[in-house]
Parts: sequence; C-alpha cells; structure tokens
Amino acid sequence: MLDRRKFLSTTALAAAALATPAVLRAQENRLVINSFGGAYEEIHRRLVITPFEQMTGAKVEVVTAYSADMLAQLRAQKDAPQFDVAHFSGGLETQAAIEGLLAPIDPAELPNAADLYDFARAGLSKGVGPTYSTAVIGLLYDTGKVTPAPSSWNDLLREGLGEHVLLTDAASNTYGMLGLLMMNRVAGGTLDDIGPGLDFARRLLEAGAIVVSKSPEIQQNFAQGVAWLAAYAQDYAYTLTKAGLPVRFSQPEEGAAMAPITVNLVAGRPNRELALKFIDFSIRPEAAAGWAEALRYTPTNRKVQLAPDVAEQVVHGEAAIARLVQFDPLVIAEKRAGWNEQWKRLLAR
Amino acid sequence: MSDRITAAARRESLALLAPGIAVLLLAFLLPVAVILVTSVRDPAGGLTAAHFAKFFVDDYYLRIAWRTLRLALAITAVTVIFGLPLAWIMVRAGPRLRFAIMLMVILPLMTSVVIRTFGWLVVLGNGGLLARLGEFLGLDGRALVLMHTETGVVIAMAQVLLPFMVLTLLGVLRAIPRDLEEAARTMGAGFWATMRLVVLPLAVPGIVSGSLIVFALSISSFITPSLVGGVRLPVLASSIYQSIGGSFDWPFAAAQSVLLLAATLAVIIPYTRLARGRT
Repeated sequence: MLDRRKFLSTTALAAAALATPAVLRAQENRLVINSFGGAYEEIHRRLVITPFEQMTGAKVEVVTAYSADMLAQLRAQKDAPQFDVAHFSGGLETQAAIEGLLAPIDPAELPNAADLYDFARAGLSKGVGPTYSTAVIGLLYDTGKVTPAPSSWNDLLREGLGEHVLLTDAASNTYGMLGLLMMNRVAGGTLDDIGPGLDFARRLLEAGAIVVSKSPEIQQNFAQGVAWLAAYAQDYAYTLTKAGLPVRFSQPEEGAAMAPITVNLVAGRPNRELALKFIDFSIRPEAAAGWAEALRYTPTNRKVQLAPDVAEQVVHGEAAIARLVQFDPLVIAEKRAGWNEQWKRLLAR
Repeated sequence: MSDRITAAARRESLALLAPGIAVLLLAFLLPVAVILVTSVRDPAGGLTAAHFAKFFVDDYYLRIAWRTLRLALAITAVTVIFGLPLAWIMVRAGPRLRFAIMLMVILPLMTSVVIRTFGWLVVLGNGGLLARLGEFLGLDGRALVLMHTETGVVIAMAQVLLPFMVLTLLGVLRAIPRDLEEAARTMGAGFWATMRLVVLPLAVPGIVSGSLIVFALSISSFITPSLVGGVRLPVLASSIYQSIGGSFDWPFAAAQSVLLLAATLAVIIPYTRLARGRT
C-alpha cells in the first residue's frame, strides 16, 4: 500500500518541480528565448539557434510563444522576467518597449546593426530590438488568370475579377488588417479615418469578393481556381508556389505593407551580454539570407546577397525597401478593437 | 461495529467521488466563475455592465445570437428527422444489418471534427461534388455551392452530431416492448398510426435528451461553423473567439460567454421540465 506521507511529499516535490520554471534553474551560460513553433521554429533553430550554441557553447532554451502570448508572459513576469530574448511579429514589441518590458540597446553593442536598413534599427534606443526580417503584404495573383499582372492596389477593383478577388478577415488576421490599411491609404484614408478603406472593401464585397480568415483557405481557393487575386503576404505566395500553384507576388506601385519580425532584449535579466550576442547573431547577413531562402521574408541587412531565384520572389534592395509602408504599431494597438467592430459589421451578412 | 463500517463506506465513496469532483471544480466551476467575474469587472476593478451593453449597442450581435439559435434549432430538427428512423430500423434489424448501421453511425465519431469538416468543404465548396452535380444538371455555376451558407453549416453540423442523437434514441427505442406495436397493429392501426400513437410518444424521452445534447453541442460549436460558414456568417462561439484573438477584449468575450450560457440554460431548463412531465 502507498504510504500516505511518502505520497504527499512526492506529490509536493513534483508540483514544486512543475511550478519552478526551467528558467530559474538555468545557469549563467543559458538563454531563454521564444520562437513561433512549427516550420518557423525549425528554420529558426537551423539558421540561428543551433549555430549560436555551437559558436558560444551556450545553451539556448526555446519556448514556443506567439507574439500576443509572449507579451502576456512578459507582462506577467515583469518583476521577475524569465526570458532573455523575445521575438515579436506584428508590432507588439513597441507596446512592450513602452511598458518597460524591453531594454534599450546602444547600436554600438550590435556590430551587425551597422549593416541594417535604418527602419530596422530605428527603435533600438527606445527598447525596440532590431527587425531581422520582414513579411511584406502586397498582391498575390494567379499568373494564368490575371493578365496583365497587377501593379496597383486598385487592380483589386479591375473589371471582370469581382468574384475571384480574395480578402482576408482584417479582424482576426494581422496580414488581413495590413491589407485593409493599404487599401485605405490608397483610397485616401489615414489611420485616424479608415472610412475610405472600408468603402474600398465594400466595393470589393459587392462585386462578389470571397472572404476567408485562415491562410489554408487561401491556398484552397487558389487551388480550386476560385481565387485569382488576393491581398496577402509575399511569404505565403511562396507557400503556394511550392504547392505547385501558378501564383506570384506583386509589390504594388503605391507600396506594400511591412510586417516586421523583431528580436528584442528583455529588461531586467542578468545575461545581457550573452543575449546581445544572440541578437547580433540573429541579424547577421547569413541569417537574413537564410530566412529569405527558406520562407521568402524580406531581409533587412544591406549586405545580404540573394540567389537569383530567391531574389526574384523577394522584395529586396534599397529602392524596393524604401517603398515599403510601415504603419505606426502604437496607433494600430490603440485603434484596432474599434476598427474590428466596423469591419465585422461591414462583413456580416 | 456497523457504525465503523458505514463510516468507512462513506469515506470510500467519498474517495471514489473525489477525482470527479476535483476535475469538475478545477476544469468547470472555476473557469465559469472566472468568466462571470471577468464579464462584470471594469479595468479599475469595479463593477460594470458596459461589456454587456456593448452586445446590445446595435443589432449586430443580436443578429449573431439569433443566427446561432436558429442554426442550433435547425440542426437539432434535422438530426431528429434523420436519427429517429435510423434508430428505429437499428432496433428492428437483424444483428448483421444492425452492426453495419452501428458502424456507419459510430465511425465518424472516431475521426476528428476538423477532418470531417474538411471533407464537407470538399463536397460543398467551389468545384466540389455538389457544384459539379449542379453543372451536370445544367444549373448556374454557383447554384449548388453551399460553402459559406447557413444550409451548408446545417448539413455539416447535422452529420457531425447525428451519432449523439442516434445513440441516445437507440437506448430508448430498444426499451419499447415490441408487443405494444404488434398489439396496435392487431387492433387495426396502420404503420403510420402505430408510429404516431405508440412509438413516437414512448420515444419522447429519447428525443428530448438527444435534442438537448445536440442543441447544446451546436449552440456552442466553433470549428464547423467557422470553416463551413466562414467569417461572413459569424455565430456566437466564433464571435467570442474573435474578441479574444483579434481584439484582445477578454471582458467582452466573457460577457458573450455568459449570454451564451444563459441562452442555453433558457432552452434546456424548460425542455427538461417537459421531458419530466411526459414520463
């Protein structure tokens, strides 16, 4: 029979072990970081994490946490942070920096930062870590169906495309929201007034546009030949190309929206030096080139050299990057809930 | 001596109950309590009705609620209409046929809802089976595309939930003595009259509990309505999900959950009364 005292003490021990985050047990030569799971995390390990461990002999512990989850965890751990480096996509790093959850970095502390485009290192002194690559939101089109190729956001309204235009739900999908903001900008709106963007979308809906909320539905609609033209991300165009679909990405002449992916230094951790080394390692040209090759994210390091087949599918280089549009993440954070309410009402039948 | 035995027996049954009660407390009552509290708290920690007021600010959320209710009722009705004859045949059938039908009913339960729903996407979607049938019949290209329609949601959901109805009905129908039907037939009642006057009234408890399960599962369902119905036909569960994942508005999500719970109870309580009255 199980001795009750023994049982209780074992349970208590097990509970304590579970409750103590792995981080507290970590040694000095260890970093705790987040990544985004799945294929992304696999590539992250191959491009950055594993080579970093080999180079420094440090141990990097990876916790899978998306941006919103990451911000929630950093907030909860404000008094005793458990992460050394936090990766964000979709603009939440600015919010985290304002709340003092992230530590400012002196550009001199990151040797590779000198090679970054200005936008990618603009927030360092305020606590926003460098942008190590960026997703780009523009137009995806079926090369067999949409001729000539789309070159403007207004091509979404092109005669004869109506029922073959695909929109992504702006209330649940950040790429969908950025697409809406681009339509809004092209139609003459601002972040203070997204009325023109909503009108633009209403015209698309009235013409029969399809609306989906998840990226697999985009693939399905292109595969079935229902969707010919969509406002979405360059990296997803590559997913479709890899799936054998005749889909290409186009950066419209009015610009495409940027969805930066950043690597940030968490405030109040003892491993600052090692963490900075990791951040610097993340922004070196080889890593940025690797992201472009593997997933078609736009590199933010000037020194990146892309192979011709990759270069053809990725917005890159000084001139093209200058045309990317970055919306103020703080304004987005403040206004998004209100926009969602307007957008949902526009959408619902 | 006997006191000690009863005391021990009580302790033992308590010990047996403990895991169930613990799970119920931790995984059900506690979260529901948290949701209730969240739905009436303002950011400063005081009490507020603002999150509920948001639901009634215009007819947008009311229409979502009405759609949710309407769909759940339609799905329940469809599963009764298809489930009742199926269950009756299973009771009457020989062992081999019964086994075959049972397999057909239970097999879908072994696959994940997501997989089954994706199957429906293939059937109901553009270029799918139904759409091609429509073309074959010379109909307009999109006439039979049921993706992103309420009809599509009802069809897919009814298939997903039919097993719950059939299995519940089966138990009740099996308990109806066959003699009763035979007696009715001997006394001159036709097949339909026997069904209406004998089988159906006796099956009511099964229909009620089957409907309750199907209704409760449909009103809170999320995956199938969002995949088949799409973003333009929001139901309450998808609206709650959107409030959390898209707008990060937990209190409003909590308020919607409370309303969903209230609506479910409002339907379920009178329904169970009715069932009790009939039996």
